[in-house]
Amino acid sequence: MSETRYFYEEDSEKGTERQIVAFALGSETYGVDISQVREIIPIQKIVPVPRAPDFVEGIINLRGKVIPVLDLRKHFGFEKKERDDEQKIVLAESHGESIGVIVDSVYSVLRIPEDSIEPPASVITGDDVGYISGIAKINDSLIVLLDLSQIISDAESRTLKEIDLASAVVK
Amino acid sequence: MKKDDLAEFQEDLQIFLIELDEILADTERNLVDLERSPDAALVQEVFRAMHTVKGGAATLGLDDAVEVTHTMESIMERVRSGEQELTSEMVDALFHVLDWLKMWKVSLEEHIDSPPAEDLIKEMQRFVLEPHTESAKVKTRPADGKHTLGEELNQKLDEYLSQNMPVYEVVVKFRPDADLLSVRCFQVFTLVSEAVDVIFSEPSVDEMESDDVGDVLTMYISCEDGGEMARQIAGSVGDVIEVSVTPYKPTNAPEAGRESPDATVKTSSLGRTVRVDVELLDFLMNMIGELVIDRTRLTQLASRLLVDKDTAVIGNELAALASHLQRTSQELQEGIMKARLLPLKNIFSKFPRMIRDLANRCGKQIDLEIRGENTELDRTVLEVIDDPLIHILRNAVDHGIETPEERRHMGKPERGKVILSAWHEENQVVIEITDDGAGMDPEALKRSAVNKGLVSVEEAGRLSEKEALELIFMPGFSTAKVATQVSGRGVGMDVVRTNLERINGHVEVRSRLGVGTTFTLKLPLTLAIMRALLVECSGCIYAIPTSSVEEAITVSKDGIQTIKGKPTLLVRGRIFPFVSLEGVLNDDPWAHQHGLQYAVLTRSNGEALALGVDDLIGEEEIVLKDMGKMLARLKGIAGATILPDGDPALILDVNRLL
Repeated sequence: MSETRYFYEEDSEKGTERQIVAFALGSETYGVDISQVREIIPIQKIVPVPRAPDFVEGIINLRGKVIPVLDLRKHFGFEKKERDDEQKIVLAESHGESIGVIVDSVYSVLRIPEDSIEPPASVITGDDVGYISGIAKINDSLIVLLDLSQIISDAESRTLKEIDLASAVVK
Repeated sequence: MKKDDLAEFQEDLQIFLIELDEILADTERNLVDLERSPDAALVQEVFRAMHTVKGGAATLGLDDAVEVTHTMESIMERVRSGEQELTSEMVDALFHVLDWLKMWKVSLEEHIDSPPAEDLIKEMQRFVLEPHTESAKVKTRPADGKHTLGEELNQKLDEYLSQNMPVYEVVVKFRPDADLLSVRCFQVFTLVSEAVDVIFSEPSVDEMESDDVGDVLTMYISCEDGGEMARQIAGSVGDVIEVSVTPYKPTNAPEAGRESPDATVKTSSLGRTVRVDVELLDFLMNMIGELVIDRTRLTQLASRLLVDKDTAVIGNELAALASHLQRTSQELQEGIMKARLLPLKNIFSKFPRMIRDLANRCGKQIDLEIRGENTELDRTVLEVIDDPLIHILRNAVDHGIETPEERRHMGKPERGKVILSAWHEENQVVIEITDDGAGMDPEALKRSAVNKGLVSVEEAGRLSEKEALELIFMPGFSTAKVATQVSGRGVGMDVVRTNLERINGHVEVRSRLGVGTTFTLKLPLTLAIMRALLVECSGCIYAIPTSSVEEAITVSKDGIQTIKGKPTLLVRGRIFPFVSLEGVLNDDPWAHQHGLQYAVLTRSNGEALALGVDDLIGEEEIVLKDMGKMLARLKGIAGATILPDGDPALILDVNRLL
């Protein structure tokens, strides 16, 4: 299989640094703590799931497991983008549930000093406070740090809400 | 005893707990039977069961259970000796002991405090005159293991030999300081005699029961495997330190002396079964799914190589390899499916007690007969059918079987009968619940449905007898005039049917007024694998379980008629509302109808429905995959599967599509 996989080790000695996987979404740079990322795979066939919330792009087959894939662009309300080879699926796992998120491209693994991270301003995060865990400044650019486990639980509660709404309408 | 000390007994405890489950289930059933008709053999069995539990508990130092089982043993002893008859009141009390033991078992498993036993023991002691005494005594007897066989026994053993049936002498040595040697002895004896023919034992069963044993048990057995099985079984029992197996020599043969050393094994508590986490099995299933996909790729590669003359030889070899891989992975898959199967006994075992309690409460006399409890089903299916079975059985007791007076009037025996049977039929398991009760009156069912506004008078009038019976599966239907404690709990037969259909099962009912009612459940062996029709709809492939497909047909333009503007298909006189699958999935059933070539005729919640699709791909065996919590509750989608080409596809739940 032609998958790119990244394996990391916990770096417990240096408490002052964080390792993040940085990726692009539109013109912005985002980062996810390495401990939340299980692997990164090339974009592949995604089968749409009718009746799922719109930010659910569909499902993929990962070595025999069926995994839902979210479109982060849709999740953040960015415009739609045509598929290209740069795009990757970042696989995350939280509470035993796996999901994939589509990102525009993956840059690299960065070590960023803890003191370069600031808490997010509420003006930017708006209602999405939960899954933006901070903003890192590296040189002159900003990296938005995401908490993928929050995105998973957020997506779960949103699907449940939509389902409940749908069944309420039916009744 | 402190719970910490249990740690070192962990292994023994595990074995004991597994045994306990079985013992409790068997005892419960035996008590139900005993209450119905006294049977010395059953009394003996219950007595022995309690003896075994007491022994096990004593070995593990669990004194509260020793005391409780001892009281029960004493009661059974009095019944056995004929001093006392077994009354319903006593059976109730004995059930309380079993209930307590169940709670006690849970407390052991979860390392919490055991339930209080004082009240229970008091309740039990009402039935026993003399206060409870020393619960276990160990008597020693010389342990030289040598004894002369009686003339009679020699003759008997020779007889076996003369019929070419090999006889072995099995000598089992126990730790002399072990608690309750009699229990251990009895355990070995019982387990061995379940596996092979035990001709004679020293001490005898009677001696074991009266604690008249030493630290050696000698058995003469007849078997074909050189005594290997008996050796292993005896070796697996706690406190056994040595098992030796020697072929028995006929009396006229020269004395050969003991030649046991090579046949001696050191004891080990390892059995031949292991417990496996279901998740591990699921993981293995997934891996096999991967193998299947790789195999498909290999086949594709092979066919590409076959085109060219130069590479055709390699292509052929590759194709052969791929087909071998297919067989291997198929067998692997079947093997793992088998590992997931459990006998129905697991849920059936609680029914005798349940029926007995319910019948008592309704003032009815009911015998439950269970057949085919060793039929195996996937554990996930077992979990789903438990509630439906309880519901149907409760109905049989509550509405089916009449009171003794009514039955006498009808000229039926006063005791009603409920038969619960299970068997394999092709790729399914069938479970049938039959009662010889009042049966259902189609006319009464119709009236009731009309009264409840479920059908109109005209509709009811047109229903055949069979169709009238089907009314009980309609939501909101319940024949009980007054909701009773037993079955009127707001859950109806409609829930039973929906639950079963959710797992691709099916339930049918037959009934004759005055004669009885039969419910037939047809269940898939497993939920994980099912047959499905693959269809294509706007570029995506969907799987529809064949259990909900009646037929797939080609649609011609003039075959479509409209009723009130809505398209319908008329197939052999039956009307199917015609919707497009794509429209349904986008919650607009009547849209996207243009140019649909095919229709899949289904039944959705008992109603006919034709699903229009672009293409029919074929029938396949598919493996159901979980999509994670996020997508688990989508309406009309049962899950996903992975197609042979590696692409995922959604499995539709026809019952919840609309």
